Amino acid sequence: MAESPGATSCPGTFARAWAKAVSGTSYLPMTQAQLESLLHRLTGQLAGALLAEPFDLRAGHRVGAEMVAAHIASAEGLGRTVEVIQLRLVRDLGLVAEDVEDRMARLLAAVATGYARALRDRTLDEQESIRRAAMMARTHAERALRASEARFRHQATHDPLTGLPNRTLFTERLTAALNEPGRGARRIGVCFLDLDRFKVVNDTLGHQIGDRLLTTVAERLCEALGEHLVARLGGDEFVILVESTGGTDDMVKVAEAALEAVRTPALVDGHELQVSASLGIVERQVAGANPGDLMRAADSTLHWAKSAGGARWALYDAERNRRELARYALSAAIPAALERGEFYLDYQPLTSLRDGRLIGVEALVRWRHPELGVLRPDSFIGLAEETGLIVQLGGWVLAEACREAKAWSAGGTAAPFVSVNLAVRQVHRPGLVQEVCALLAQTGLPPERLQLEITESTMMSTAEEPVRALRVLADLGVRIAIDDFGTGYSNLAYLRDLPVTELKVAGEFVAGLQSPAVGRTDERILASLVSLAHALDLTVTAEGVETAGQAERLRAIGCDAAQGWHFGRPAPADRILALIR
Amino acid sequence: MQRPDWAPETIDIERPSVARMYDYYLGGSHNFAADRAAAQAMVAAVPEAPLMAQANRAFLRRAVHHLAEAGIRQFLDIGSGIPTVGNVHEIAQRIDPESRVVYVDVDPVAVAHSREILAGNERAVVVQEDLRHPEKILADPSVRGLLDFDQPVAVMVVAVLHFVSDEDRPAELLRTLRDALAPGSYLVLSQASDDGRSRDERAEAERVYRRTDNPLWVRSRAELTALFDGFELVDPGVVWVPEWRPDTPESAEDAERAVFMGGVGRLGG
Repeated sequence: MAESPGATSCPGTFARAWAKAVSGTSYLPMTQAQLESLLHRLTGQLAGALLAEPFDLRAGHRVGAEMVAAHIASAEGLGRTVEVIQLRLVRDLGLVAEDVEDRMARLLAAVATGYARALRDRTLDEQESIRRAAMMARTHAERALRASEARFRHQATHDPLTGLPNRTLFTERLTAALNEPGRGARRIGVCFLDLDRFKVVNDTLGHQIGDRLLTTVAERLCEALGEHLVARLGGDEFVILVESTGGTDDMVKVAEAALEAVRTPALVDGHELQVSASLGIVERQVAGANPGDLMRAADSTLHWAKSAGGARWALYDAERNRRELARYALSAAIPAALERGEFYLDYQPLTSLRDGRLIGVEALVRWRHPELGVLRPDSFIGLAEETGLIVQLGGWVLAEACREAKAWSAGGTAAPFVSVNLAVRQVHRPGLVQEVCALLAQTGLPPERLQLEITESTMMSTAEEPVRALRVLADLGVRIAIDDFGTGYSNLAYLRDLPVTELKVAGEFVAGLQSPAVGRTDERILASLVSLAHALDLTVTAEGVETAGQAERLRAIGCDAAQGWHFGRPAPADRILALIR
Repeated sequence: MQRPDWAPETIDIERPSVARMYDYYLGGSHNFAADRAAAQAMVAAVPEAPLMAQANRAFLRRAVHHLAEAGIRQFLDIGSGIPTVGNVHEIAQRIDPESRVVYVDVDPVAVAHSREILAGNERAVVVQEDLRHPEKILADPSVRGLLDFDQPVAVMVVAVLHFVSDEDRPAELLRTLRDALAPGSYLVLSQASDDGRSRDERAEAERVYRRTDNPLWVRSRAELTALFDGFELVDPGVVWVPEWRPDTPESAEDAERAVFMGGVGRLGG
């Protein structure tokens, strides 16, 4: 076997043709010249293999594998290679061999086998590597997602200022503690804590200092209450969860530790701040408790501590809470009750001590409550005053009293005046004069048959407007009485400015007339008051007169009139009027 | 690329990735069934697609080679994709092993893959970032750690700008990059161009790419030339990529079939 004599050997020509055939079949990361030089080398190996004795398949395998390694790695690349070798290798290189066709077939088979093997390995390697990359990317993405979820979760459940858990997390923990199986018989506690007068810190030193103070308080609470969950609900409100208590004593210890932690002066930005806190404690059995009720109870208990002056804890009292809720429900029902006409007036006689004649009546409001029965004013007037509903209710009382009183003037004798209590808010409200004038005009009640009872505390404010209004009314002829005289303010100066007609002396002085020991002092006070009143040209009515003896003493002192059970209990207008017919 | 910054990233290999489609065009097997299906649909619409990818990759090879020969030793390849055959660091580090290369891609799988390939190569890193946030790329610690911006850097924006819409202001993105470069730096740019394409072919190609996360935005020669603002174009300017300094005259034949246009610009100063 040898090169054919006379034939020229041109491996370069073959390599060029081969390079041309495979270019474009896949991306080849080299220049055309580099490709040709590579294929030139492989051409030499092919020629060697074709002529080698004995024939070695491995040489063909190596050529196939080298092609793949050089990225001549596609089906087309193989096809064209087979074609170009078969057509041109022997001719271009002038190769001569006896069994050349046979050898060529085996060489091509070996190249194709080596090529396919290498390409398969490469494909599998690449698939594995891209899958591994996808997996790594997924792991990375999931880790990032978990991290961001954890971050979101932390942000959603913590207060950014103090880093404490927020309401959301607190409620979660409380709910979990209440729902934990088998804990029904255990006890749980919640403390609501609120700094006293924190607003002053913010207002005077600025919010920055306020925020720093809150951060300090938060740190201290955590330190003092170690194992218990401390959360910030917002503003200066903190809450403590004691998941397991042995009773209220345990909670009181927690509360005192919390108050102590707050009380220690804090150095904030050069300011030594001493603040106190109020704290509401709820402690109860887990069974039957729910988070909302516990939080509400702790919150209202906190307000008891606050209204008792702050810097203290208060313990939840279900009975007190029930009363407050009932009171709240009652006050909320006043407007509807007014509309439905559930209020009515009773009257109590004001009797002359000189001749026993009925000179006036005091209007007393009653509420015929559909469920609670008839309610006396002491069960709802205080509430109405707190909520401001007194203005609406008092207005109704005044109008109703005027309307009823007008009807009493039928008899020949002088009809009694009607005395109506005015709340502080009513007196201080602009428009009082217009309201009274309009009522008098509407009902036709003569002004002198209306008496307005105000308390001393009404006059404690320095506002001039109420005084002016009362003077206008007095000038019209309306009577002005000071109610409960002697028990309140008792600054006699206002008597100078006020157009008062009458003093109503509080029942407690009258009560004293019963016992000889106290009685003497009370009697002297009463006597002085009467002479003072008379000196100022005022009449005096004694309240709470229950016995004939008291009435006799009062008459002896010179008191003008009296009111009390001895003279008649409050009753509907027609029953009272029967007295004068 | 549509994912907002705050949304967690998800890896969905059922969705074609342009980086892996590109690998398929180049004859690689770093791709999944969804990538191959999308690539085959693209080939049905634009039969030259594999040729385009190969011509573009050859342009990248010639450009890097040219720049490395011109003394550039720092490369910032943005939109590097699957870094398989004939990538920047292979070419550049063959000429000078001290050459430094930073790859940047937004595709997390491509980045993970690059990281694996580059493991052990201290002068090549990959960063996951978006071409549309050049300021983040420039501020990235890996970028800053490997590249010295007081020395010339070749910024490669090869076969990626057609995934950036006009709304994302490609000119501004390139300006931000340019402003960070020292005199003597280079910009290598190529992207799909519609010069001489029928409207139908373009619509079909755009339709195929809409299935990926990256819709296609083709640009004219004039638009591409304008993007070299501030750079002096190296001969022969913005051309069909096979025409850019071809190895042999024959390899530039039928150049417009390559669809990609590109050029290299030098920052004077």
